[in-house]
Amino acid sequence: MDKQLDLLQGTLDMLILKAVSLGPLHGYGVLLRIQQISRDRLEIQQGSLYPALYRLEHQGWIASEWGESENKRKAKYYRLTTAGKRRLLAETENWNRMADVIAGILGTKREEV
Amino acid sequence: MTLWSRARSWVHALFQRSRMERDMDAELRFHMETMTEELLRQGLPHEEALRRARVEFGGIERVKQEGREVRGVNIVDELLQDVRYGQRVLRKSPGFAIVAVLTLALGIGANTAIFSVVNAVLLRPLAVENPARLTYIQEKWQDMFPGFSVGNFTDVRRQSSSFAEVCASHNGGFNLETKDVPERVDGEYVTANYFATFGVQPIAGRVFTSDEDQSGHSRVALVSEKLWRTRLRGDSSIINRQIRISGVPTTIVGVMPKSFDPLLSDTDLWIPAAFSPAELADYDNHYLTVMGRLKPGVTLAQAQSELNVIGERLAVEHPIDDKDRSFRVQSLTTALLGDQRLSLRMMLAAVGFLLLIVSANIANLQLARARTREKEIAVRAALGATPSRIVRQLLAENVVLGLAGGAVGVLFAYWAVAWIVAHGPAEMPRLDQSRIDATTLIFAVGVALFSSFMFGLAPAMRSGSAKLNEILKSAAGTGAGTRDRFRSFLVVAEVALALVLMACAGLLIRSALFVSHVDPGFDTSNVVVGRVGLAGPDYHDPLVGRQTFERIVAAAAALPGVESAAVVSRAPMAGLGSSNGLLAEGVPFDPSKLIDARLQIVSPSYLSTARLQLKIGRDFTAQDTRDRTLVTIINETLARAMWPGQNPIGKRFACCESGPKGRLDPVWHEVVGVVGDVRAWGLDHDVKPEFYVPFAQMPPTAWDWIGRTMDLEVRSRGGAAPVRDLQSIVASIAPAVPIYHLSTMQAKISGTLERSHFDTYLLALFAGSALLLSSIGIYGVLSYMVAQRTRDIGIRIALGASSTRIVSDVLSFGMSLAGIGLVLGVAGALVATRLFASMLYGVRSTDVITFLAVSFILLAVAFLASFFPARRATRVDPIVALRYE
Repeated sequence: MDKQLDLLQGTLDMLILKAVSLGPLHGYGVLLRIQQISRDRLEIQQGSLYPALYRLEHQGWIASEWGESENKRKAKYYRLTTAGKRRLLAETENWNRMADVIAGILGTKREEV
Repeated sequence: MTLWSRARSWVHALFQRSRMERDMDAELRFHMETMTEELLRQGLPHEEALRRARVEFGGIERVKQEGREVRGVNIVDELLQDVRYGQRVLRKSPGFAIVAVLTLALGIGANTAIFSVVNAVLLRPLAVENPARLTYIQEKWQDMFPGFSVGNFTDVRRQSSSFAEVCASHNGGFNLETKDVPERVDGEYVTANYFATFGVQPIAGRVFTSDEDQSGHSRVALVSEKLWRTRLRGDSSIINRQIRISGVPTTIVGVMPKSFDPLLSDTDLWIPAAFSPAELADYDNHYLTVMGRLKPGVTLAQAQSELNVIGERLAVEHPIDDKDRSFRVQSLTTALLGDQRLSLRMMLAAVGFLLLIVSANIANLQLARARTREKEIAVRAALGATPSRIVRQLLAENVVLGLAGGAVGVLFAYWAVAWIVAHGPAEMPRLDQSRIDATTLIFAVGVALFSSFMFGLAPAMRSGSAKLNEILKSAAGTGAGTRDRFRSFLVVAEVALALVLMACAGLLIRSALFVSHVDPGFDTSNVVVGRVGLAGPDYHDPLVGRQTFERIVAAAAALPGVESAAVVSRAPMAGLGSSNGLLAEGVPFDPSKLIDARLQIVSPSYLSTARLQLKIGRDFTAQDTRDRTLVTIINETLARAMWPGQNPIGKRFACCESGPKGRLDPVWHEVVGVVGDVRAWGLDHDVKPEFYVPFAQMPPTAWDWIGRTMDLEVRSRGGAAPVRDLQSIVASIAPAVPIYHLSTMQAKISGTLERSHFDTYLLALFAGSALLLSSIGIYGVLSYMVAQRTRDIGIRIALGASSTRIVSDVLSFGMSLAGIGLVLGVAGALVATRLFASMLYGVRSTDVITFLAVSFILLAVAFLASFFPARRATRVDPIVALRYE
């Protein structure tokens, strides 16, 4: 297993949006899904997950409703709203451009300057 | 972020707080339990699994708190906290809270009550379709605005293109014979398109057809809902049935809704005008009320310029009647309610001032409290409260105060509106519709919030920006800083506003005193007056009418306790009446040379019954009949206008009718007497030219000018007014004819003064409150100043300052505040009083005596308000004062 990375500031929201875009999830499920698709390379503070969920719901990117979990308990499921979909697309594009630029800068060699 | 989701979560935060908390608990518990299960499955023992789950999750309370924060719960929470805190603080200083709430209630209540009246009288649109398009058209002649002649009305209606509809009406009284006692009903003769002009449909039946508006058609009528319910028992089978109105069988064709009162005149009956061919050709009698509905897109100015053109054309076509005559068009709302605007706006301004004074007073109290609360606030700031939070907190406290004051104020306004409706002037239209409703409640809440910010913001801002360490370091205050300068400024403003109100009230009071000393021109004691209208075919003949009145007069004069009786076409204070253009003998005919004078048709006993002062000449006698020389008695104003500086006895003027040779063949009336002026329109109205003509010599057409209606005037020898006897005399001599508006002359005179007395009373009340409040302001600032400077004063006394010296220092500070306020107030009052100069009688708006009097009262009260704190200053014990350190 690779060493776990700390989450970059401001990226948790994006990851949550991505996670619930693949299908409705409860909070614990979001946590698992992110760990699963990052192949456990990201460390997510559980304490910061819920405030982030509430913030995203408050902003209207995700919506929630109560349902039944795999272990037959009542759980709150989050899903992406239409506004959330647009938001995720925009964030993804932003992130990719930013990553390109940063990678370009960091990859610069002395003779290229 | 969508606005909707944010609003939704705030609403949840506010109203579904507990559900949100439950949800959050359930969700987090689910998380912990699922995680624990997972760990158990990995083989950890139960205790260890629980512990690990908790450690990995971190602080649950912190998560919840952050969750609440992002959902905006905190803002709501803090607000509620602030409000609760405000309540607690106010409960702890009940004295301050009670004073503040009561003065606020006074300010807000007065504002709400006056606004309710303004809303009912001025702001509510007339109950007609699209009232903004309705206009009121008048003729204009010699600075007067008489009604239309039928001829002019017909021509204007035909020739103008600015109006979708032009209609006309003239009022008439009708005797309704549906019960045992005949009743007088106010009605209007209207053209058939009257209802279409206003765009109002009857609630039952139909409006008039144009056929019914032709002369000779059998009589039809529309009745008001009120009349229909009270006199016709709300019976819908009344439609198309006949009842007798003023002796004429009349078919009721419809019922108009209660709200339909386009002229605000309590009309109960509408009858087609059905002008006869003679009336249609008449350009000489000006009595029609004319209304027009503007076509879409046409402005008042366009309509006016079109009417100007028509007016010029008519002046050429009818040189005798329409020379120098033009038309004026204005919006119907202005025409009907324009007179009410000035005094109601004045009231609104007055209560607005009162509210400002109240706010300034409470701001002052708050500033004084802020000073003593500085430490408390500094501690809060030291504990981490941000300045904005502190400002919010103090504002919340003020909003609590404001709303409490508003609640009490609305109760007060309920009572005040009931009082105003009961005691307000009857002549003010729609006053009875004033009430506290949703609109006025919204207004009250608005005023409450506005005043909360007015009196709360300044103290709160100061506290919010106060420098922590300075306050915590400072000992019991000594100096007077900028804050006291601000408080002084507030007091000066209060005094200035109070003086403006006092000056206005003072002028009205002086005006009312003037009016009460005006000589009405006749003896008003022991006189009873009532109107009798001999309508109907029985009295069509002027001779029958005159003989009927003569019998009534004779019977009334024979009553025990009655000294004499008479009839007159319009008794003083009865308003209206008809006027004629008079031409003195020897003056060539020219319409601009005519002198407009009010015609009074009287029985020979009138002058002696009313006790008019006969200045020169003789009274009428029973021998002044139509076959003798036509005689007249004129009032002094007419004598001055027509024959300035000459003896008018024996001189003649032409009026009222034409001789056998046509329109310009004069019929002369010889002046046989001159009587003193009578204040016929009210004590506060100027006297107009008047002339008296004996009943037996009246021109036959005059019988219709006066609507076959006369005032019966009876002078008794004292004792109770013989009201019942007069009713039975009229009932026995003229069956089915009521006597109405029956009351004493003195009651009628006070009726005409009702309005100005009401205005005066209210304004005096407001001015008195303003004076009281601003003196409380002065007292508050000085007492506080003395308390703050106890140590300084103690030192001065210890160093030998005399108590006179100390008193005069405090006094002079108080008086200088009052003095500056006074000067500013006088300047403001000079502007303000000019605006309502037209409401004054006998007093100029810059009346020196009034200004001196109110200034003196204000300074005297300010002196008293300063004296008590000053005296307290001399009682400072230097030893106690110095030990304060």
